[in-house]
Amino acid sequence: MRRLSLRTLGPTLLGILAFLGVLAAIAGRMPLVLLTLVINLLIFAALAYSINFITGLTGYVSFGHVLFMAVGGYGLAYGVGTLHWHPVAGVALGALVSLALALGIGAVTLRFRGVYFAIASQVTALAGFYIVLEVQELGGGQGIVLNVGFEPIAWFYTIWVILAIEVGITYWITHGRLGYGIRSIRADEDAAKTVGVHAAALKLVLFAISGLFAGAAGGVYYWQGSGIFPNEAFSLTFSLIMLAMIVIGGMGTLLGPLFGAVAVYLSSQYFLTVLIGFEFVIIGVLVVVIALFLPEGIVGTLRKYVPELRGLIE
Amino acid sequence: MKRTLAVSNVHKSFGGVRAVRGVSLALEEGHVLGLIGPNGSGKTTLLNLIAGVAKPSKGEITLDGRRIDGLAPHRIVAAGIAKTHQIPRPFLSMTGRENVAVAALYGSNKTRDLPEAMETAGRVLGLVGLAGKEDVASSNLTVQQRKRLEFARVLATGARILLLDEIFAGLSPDELRDAVALFARLQGELGFGALVVEHVMRAVLTVSQHVVVMEEGSKIAEGTPQEVVQNPAVIEAYLGPEAGRAPP
Repeated sequence: MRRLSLRTLGPTLLGILAFLGVLAAIAGRMPLVLLTLVINLLIFAALAYSINFITGLTGYVSFGHVLFMAVGGYGLAYGVGTLHWHPVAGVALGALVSLALALGIGAVTLRFRGVYFAIASQVTALAGFYIVLEVQELGGGQGIVLNVGFEPIAWFYTIWVILAIEVGITYWITHGRLGYGIRSIRADEDAAKTVGVHAAALKLVLFAISGLFAGAAGGVYYWQGSGIFPNEAFSLTFSLIMLAMIVIGGMGTLLGPLFGAVAVYLSSQYFLTVLIGFEFVIIGVLVVVIALFLPEGIVGTLRKYVPELRGLIE
Repeated sequence: MKRTLAVSNVHKSFGGVRAVRGVSLALEEGHVLGLIGPNGSGKTTLLNLIAGVAKPSKGEITLDGRRIDGLAPHRIVAAGIAKTHQIPRPFLSMTGRENVAVAALYGSNKTRDLPEAMETAGRVLGLVGLAGKEDVASSNLTVQQRKRLEFARVLATGARILLLDEIFAGLSPDELRDAVALFARLQGELGFGALVVEHVMRAVLTVSQHVVVMEEGSKIAEGTPQEVVQNPAVIEAYLGPEAGRAPP
């Protein structure tokens, strides 16, 4: 067993942890406007890391990831609104239901490859929407309005913990034996099986982790929003934003989802003020340009063209 | 204990096409069994059935008496059988060493320790003559080198029964001579069993102690290389009925 020391963790992980550490230290003193911005940035980052587990690491493009975010939100809303739980317990409920759902859905849809998986994943999100519309306990088409307090500090630390765990798991997966198995699946799944990689199990584990964290991030998002409405909660836009973040940042990397979240969230906020309604058009154009010219995203491109950075960012 | 692979009366149909029709063969660790036959005779399908890539429609495959037909490919590898691909399929995004390390980490001899897997990978690459290519991206390897990488991967899984699909095809005469010599040396040193599917007759007859001939999904002959090349049914399968009947 290798000894764990700060040096072996690598600069990327240390950098992200330092960034998170600084945020945690100053969160209490931030002006509210800035704190709200940071909370949303962390929620976006948590969503980006969640889809990175499946799409970034294995190459299976999930077009329906909004489903898990929505299920997390509905778990929170049911836990808080109906069961009268503390919101953090509601977030946990939503995350666990998301995990279970991802296990069930993944066991079927991960048998499909390429575009078939992408279509299947979007169909599951659509199905979730129509099911929720019929379930009165979840508010049907009306949604659920929650009567929760305005607690930015609680939102901040909840999403902070979720994100920190995601970063840790991403690091752990990409730096060990699992990382090699996953990379072999992404490179050539059938060849991976013939050297002993249990591809189906590995993909399912990643998909479940992905669902768990998308659900957790969704829970915090709707806790902050004090309610959930099906039309918004199942919007394809969220799935596309999640994909956009990892495409822009760098699929399957440790730092990429954070870069992608910053790029997408900040530009959406900026353009929101100047070109109302066009912010996602601009992000869409950005994704197309990056996919065409920098297919490895920000992190992959920096690693490719700036050799000095290769040892620093991953 | 020596591992023994036994295929008995195995059939495989794809829709109406009967690709394999009741083939039986046996292979013991330490031996090399050649499997030859014209194009489309079902050789690759038979390897896929053993490797778990496809399930037999009928018949049994056993390893040391234990049924293995129908097991998933990774379970077959865990049991100690590994197959190369006819067209090499390296993990293109990885270096040579990383390619082989995956096999060391997930094969039947698996280690969970990364540095140890890297060390094994380096050693196996040396065995197959790819020393110096460890850190080259596998996408930059030549066809010959990719074939060796494919071979290194199955060796690194720790398999004792190797299924080798045309590892000698597409090589220049010099490369072929080197590859045959390398294979014979490694087989002698490591003592694995190998089922060698091959079109290059000279190669397969040199390395095998025993040869099975397939045509249109069935086994038409079996024996030592000398017996097989003189068998009229084999000559007919390769050269047509006239050649089979007329003695030289």
